[in-house]
Amino acid sequence: MEKHEQITLFKEKAEAVQTSVIEIGELQQAFLYAIEVTKKQGGSTIAAPGLAQKDSDALSAFRALCEENGVTLVTENLRSQIGKLHTGFTVADHAVAETATLVQDSSSEDVRIATMLSEIHVAVLPASRIKADAMSLENELKEAMKAPPSYVAFISGASRTADIERVLTIGVHGPQELHVLILDENVD
Amino acid sequence: MISTPHDVKEYRGHLKKALKNTFLGTTLDNFATSYRASRAKAFEGMDLEGLIQEIAQGKDASIPYLEELFTLFKARAEAAGAKIHVARTATEANEIIASIAKDNGVRKIVKGKSMTAEETFLNTHLEKEGYQVTETDLGEWIIQLRGEGPSHMVMPAIHLSRQQVAELFTKITGAPQDPDDINGMVKVARRELRQAFLEADMGITGANFAIAETGTIGLVTNEGNGRLVTTLPRVHVALVGFDKLIPDLQSALRVLKALPRNATGQAISTYVTWITGANDCAPGPDGRKEMHIVFLDNGRLALARDPVFSQALRCVRCGACANVCPIYKLVGGHNYGHVYIGAIGLILTYFYHGRENARAIVKNCLNCQACKSVCAAGIDLPHLIKEVYRTVLEVEGKKPVKNILLNRALKDRRLFHFLLRRAYLAQKPLAGGGDLIRHLPFFLSREHGFRSLPVVAKTPLRDQWERINPRLPNPRYRVALFGGCVVDFVYPEQALALVKLAREFNVQLEYPMEQTCCGLPAKMMGESETAREVAIQNLKAVDPTEYDYILTLCASCGSHLKENYPRLLAGDPGLQVKVDQLRDKIMDFSSFMQNVLKVSSEKFDGHYRKIAYHSPCHLCRGLNVTQEPRELLKTAGLDYLPAKDEDVCCGFGGSFSVEFPEISAELLKRKLDNVEATGAEVLVTDCPGCVLQLRGGMDKRGAKKIQVKHIAEVVADSLKK
Repeated sequence: MEKHEQITLFKEKAEAVQTSVIEIGELQQAFLYAIEVTKKQGGSTIAAPGLAQKDSDALSAFRALCEENGVTLVTENLRSQIGKLHTGFTVADHAVAETATLVQDSSSEDVRIATMLSEIHVAVLPASRIKADAMSLENELKEAMKAPPSYVAFISGASRTADIERVLTIGVHGPQELHVLILDENVD
Repeated sequence: MISTPHDVKEYRGHLKKALKNTFLGTTLDNFATSYRASRAKAFEGMDLEGLIQEIAQGKDASIPYLEELFTLFKARAEAAGAKIHVARTATEANEIIASIAKDNGVRKIVKGKSMTAEETFLNTHLEKEGYQVTETDLGEWIIQLRGEGPSHMVMPAIHLSRQQVAELFTKITGAPQDPDDINGMVKVARRELRQAFLEADMGITGANFAIAETGTIGLVTNEGNGRLVTTLPRVHVALVGFDKLIPDLQSALRVLKALPRNATGQAISTYVTWITGANDCAPGPDGRKEMHIVFLDNGRLALARDPVFSQALRCVRCGACANVCPIYKLVGGHNYGHVYIGAIGLILTYFYHGRENARAIVKNCLNCQACKSVCAAGIDLPHLIKEVYRTVLEVEGKKPVKNILLNRALKDRRLFHFLLRRAYLAQKPLAGGGDLIRHLPFFLSREHGFRSLPVVAKTPLRDQWERINPRLPNPRYRVALFGGCVVDFVYPEQALALVKLAREFNVQLEYPMEQTCCGLPAKMMGESETAREVAIQNLKAVDPTEYDYILTLCASCGSHLKENYPRLLAGDPGLQVKVDQLRDKIMDFSSFMQNVLKVSSEKFDGHYRKIAYHSPCHLCRGLNVTQEPRELLKTAGLDYLPAKDEDVCCGFGGSFSVEFPEISAELLKRKLDNVEATGAEVLVTDCPGCVLQLRGGMDKRGAKKIQVKHIAEVVADSLKK
């Protein structure tokens, strides 16, 4: 499947699970998006664990933008911040188009807390990381499992329940919104 | 605490009460309808049959090696820092978990939803030991607060209304809750449970998968509570049945492809979590989680060695067998299982919770095959249910009188047919001169009055056969009719219709006179020895090599011959070949007309106007025939009006309708309501058992009555004069 087909499928399936998806051309846009949505919702803190390991320059840029906009950026010891985190910000490791699933290595406790205990979750998804189905990710997943301990999360939408009269309700325990920003740096 | 009736009398009392619960009836009916649609949509464009087969084969390949898989899992998980325990019994599992709690100075525990923990009554044990346990799945939390067990494996609180939840939450929070603000009530849970997560020292979960090659457990959840339970507390204990062991990630992903789609019609559950070893956890010793995995045997390893029942271990706990069960739909999970509910629950209850708890509920199966047709792992659930029933009868050594009589009668065809002929005389005082009995015979109580019973025919088909069946000079096909008892002794006119059509289309029919009951009633009553004996009689009477096809007007006989004969006579030298030949030649009426004779619409002029159709369980699921009857109605020039739930059981189920008349009556009522809603003048079906039930029910209706006929009759009547 072509990359743009994967993106189209991902977007279509994401809609079915109330995930908002936009496409962006550079990481900077993701930072601005996260800051804007946080402020709009009356939040003041963004948790972005794991970004330092992935891209320390990007983290500095993010920090500067947050400061400019009066938003607090936290990246570690998140357990002590539970209750204050509005937005969890991560970069997804992989994704599955047919179910609009993000694959997030969550072996770090901070990543888990940011993606589970924030009010909303904003995830950047590099377009090249989208595969058609979960089976196509078998090797990548196995690699993570074979280097334990590990905690790999499939995330497809926001936390939901239908336990009261089967009425679909979003946001029971985890984040109440999932925003996926598909980053395609080679877009012309 | 869960209590399940130990005898049918008490059980019927519970069922009657449940049938009066209109909220339950409406909720589960709506659920069943929307489930069908969302499931179909979720599997759209996928090779569902292929996937189910792959899952079944994968599971069957690992079930004999659970202990080997366990050894591998243990090695991998221990290398990753997890501690592995084996519990032989439910009590042992609870004690192991309590001692882990004690060793780690635990006071408060949060739990993710786990059927395995329900199986062992873990909460009760931990609470007795002084721990504070909080269920964190919303549905589980609700039923925990109410002191109930789950009524569905995936939606544990489906039996409760928003008003009941609001009342409960008002009590918990001390603030009044608006029942129509479901979102608001969900937020109550979010707030209340957030505190529990933060305060807990230990989290307990089950697992959907235990992947041997990496020592990984997989958890499938929607709410995200499973993630919090495995993240916040410093201790994590996973209680996992041995049956969850699976060789590799690929096998797990394959099951995952079907599990959420089959459970709730979701392409995937919101969160799927793969945990390998003791992960990062700030408050844990050395910043690591104290991670324990307890494997529960509780009979599973013995079950794995059982040649018949090991199939039950394929179950992936999707709950689909309950979703589609017409009985579950009427009475809910609290009346359809013990801890495990639905079709798989009737089976597992016997193995995990004992004969006493299984005895009554295991009889409550129509054998309608709805569960089997949606099982994600291809388990032959109705067959296993009957096998459990048979086992219970055998173990208890107390056969009901009706079983003893049935065995006596069926094993001797002459005696059996003599008794049926005598029935004509015996019923005379009860019949009102028509073809229905006007007064219930003395041995049936008032509950059986929901349908009129048919009068046994004056002259059975076999006694008329030579007179009515013409010899044709150059027939296209030579076809044997397997009549079945109901056509032979109650509705010979259905066969007469067939004879008329056979003559028209130049088919030579034969009626092998030594044929007898197909034996399905014996199987339904757990009498497989009798079922085997009559199968042999029929194979001797009907030699498949003498005919081009073997036709049946009764879907139940047809599917029993096709599916159960090979099983009943497996390994019987000589018979095996005949069974295979029989299976290849058995055909239902509509398929024969449409696919073999390919009858043309020019021959017909549609004698009736508006026709509704009831799809018999043993035709649409037993023989997998769905299109042909509907096409045949069109071929015959009949105006077919689709009804709601055409393929849902009419409630007959042979002896079922005598054992559980209330259930049978309610299913019949719903069926006839749906038929009436179409505005049809005639209701057509292709099984004489269904005709008996539907016609009897229609007769009891006050308002305008719809004629009920076998499809062969309306097609024969529609032949151009």
